[in-house]
Amino acid sequence: MFTLRAIRPVVVNTTQSIGYQNRNYATLKEIQLRLKSINSIAKITKSMKMIASTKMTRAQKAMEIARVFGTTQTGLFTYADTKPTEGGNTLVITVSSDRGLCGGIHSSVSKRSKKFIEENPSSQIIVLGDKAKGQLQRTVRENIKLSFNQIGRSIPTYNEASSIADTILKEKIDFDQAAIIYNYFISVISYEAKIIPAFSVSTFAKSGNFDSYEVEDDVLEHLQEFAFANSIYWGLVEGHAAEMASKRSAMENATKNAGEIIEKLTMTYNRGRQAAITNELVDIITGASAL
Amino acid sequence: MAFSWKTAGITYLKYTQICARAVRNALKEEQRLIAQKRDEQGIKYAKWENGKQGELKPIVPQQHS
Repeated sequence: MFTLRAIRPVVVNTTQSIGYQNRNYATLKEIQLRLKSINSIAKITKSMKMIASTKMTRAQKAMEIARVFGTTQTGLFTYADTKPTEGGNTLVITVSSDRGLCGGIHSSVSKRSKKFIEENPSSQIIVLGDKAKGQLQRTVRENIKLSFNQIGRSIPTYNEASSIADTILKEKIDFDQAAIIYNYFISVISYEAKIIPAFSVSTFAKSGNFDSYEVEDDVLEHLQEFAFANSIYWGLVEGHAAEMASKRSAMENATKNAGEIIEKLTMTYNRGRQAAITNELVDIITGASAL
Repeated sequence: MAFSWKTAGITYLKYTQICARAVRNALKEEQRLIAQKRDEQGIKYAKWENGKQGELKPIVPQQHS
């Protein structure tokens, strides 16, 4: 790297001296500039890490609450023994967000979605968040039906989730079962793409233990809407927590790497500086002794 | 059970949102200010057709259809 830089034309050249020294000074100056910029990068990533940490604790609290929504929700489908309709319309909802700089969180969900679509090629896709949209539109853009953005600026609210669910239902996207693909928060350092199942009214009405519930027809539709919003809410909040955690560790790594580079550069900088000084000294001494 | 709002074309989710907003507005000043922040939504959505993204539209929070 330094040899490459040394070949570059010297911009700062005020003193009239021989080429070698000139180059040496220029690289020193360049190292200094690099050091400066890397220092500020390290500062930025460090503060981003701090922000992500505080956001993560809040997101985790919200997640604990949202999990209750989600587990109750999926619990109902488990007890009712709901099964996806064979050959029915499938809808994939990929839950991610707009912000980058947070590790592989977006590719995790989009990879899972792509795999899901490979298994069910006719499925329709709804993308939440710009990042996953960017990744999915490259391969499966034909399947995308709706995309949402401006998601995940702060902790997602139930209000937002129900608006999303309402919009999806309002746009008359036909589905018998839906797979909400989100990042499951395992721990602060790990997450995993998982699927929350959601079903349409007709699919739910066909479920195995449906007879053990006493329902009026109207209520069922409302339950389906509510369940759908619940599942989306869970996915959003859990994904948000995972994203913050991942962002924190990504920023931590970035800060660590910047620190390493700073250390290395300082070393070369000091060495170069000393070499230059020694050279000059040698010049002076030889000059003095030649007199 | 009668769902009078249903005949007006309001979905269950819309209905609950409207109710939630009414509750938020009825809160005392300090709590209301915090709660009303949760009411804001900037989410936008776009319809896609044959692999082309359509126009971005905001999800209008309370559009009494």
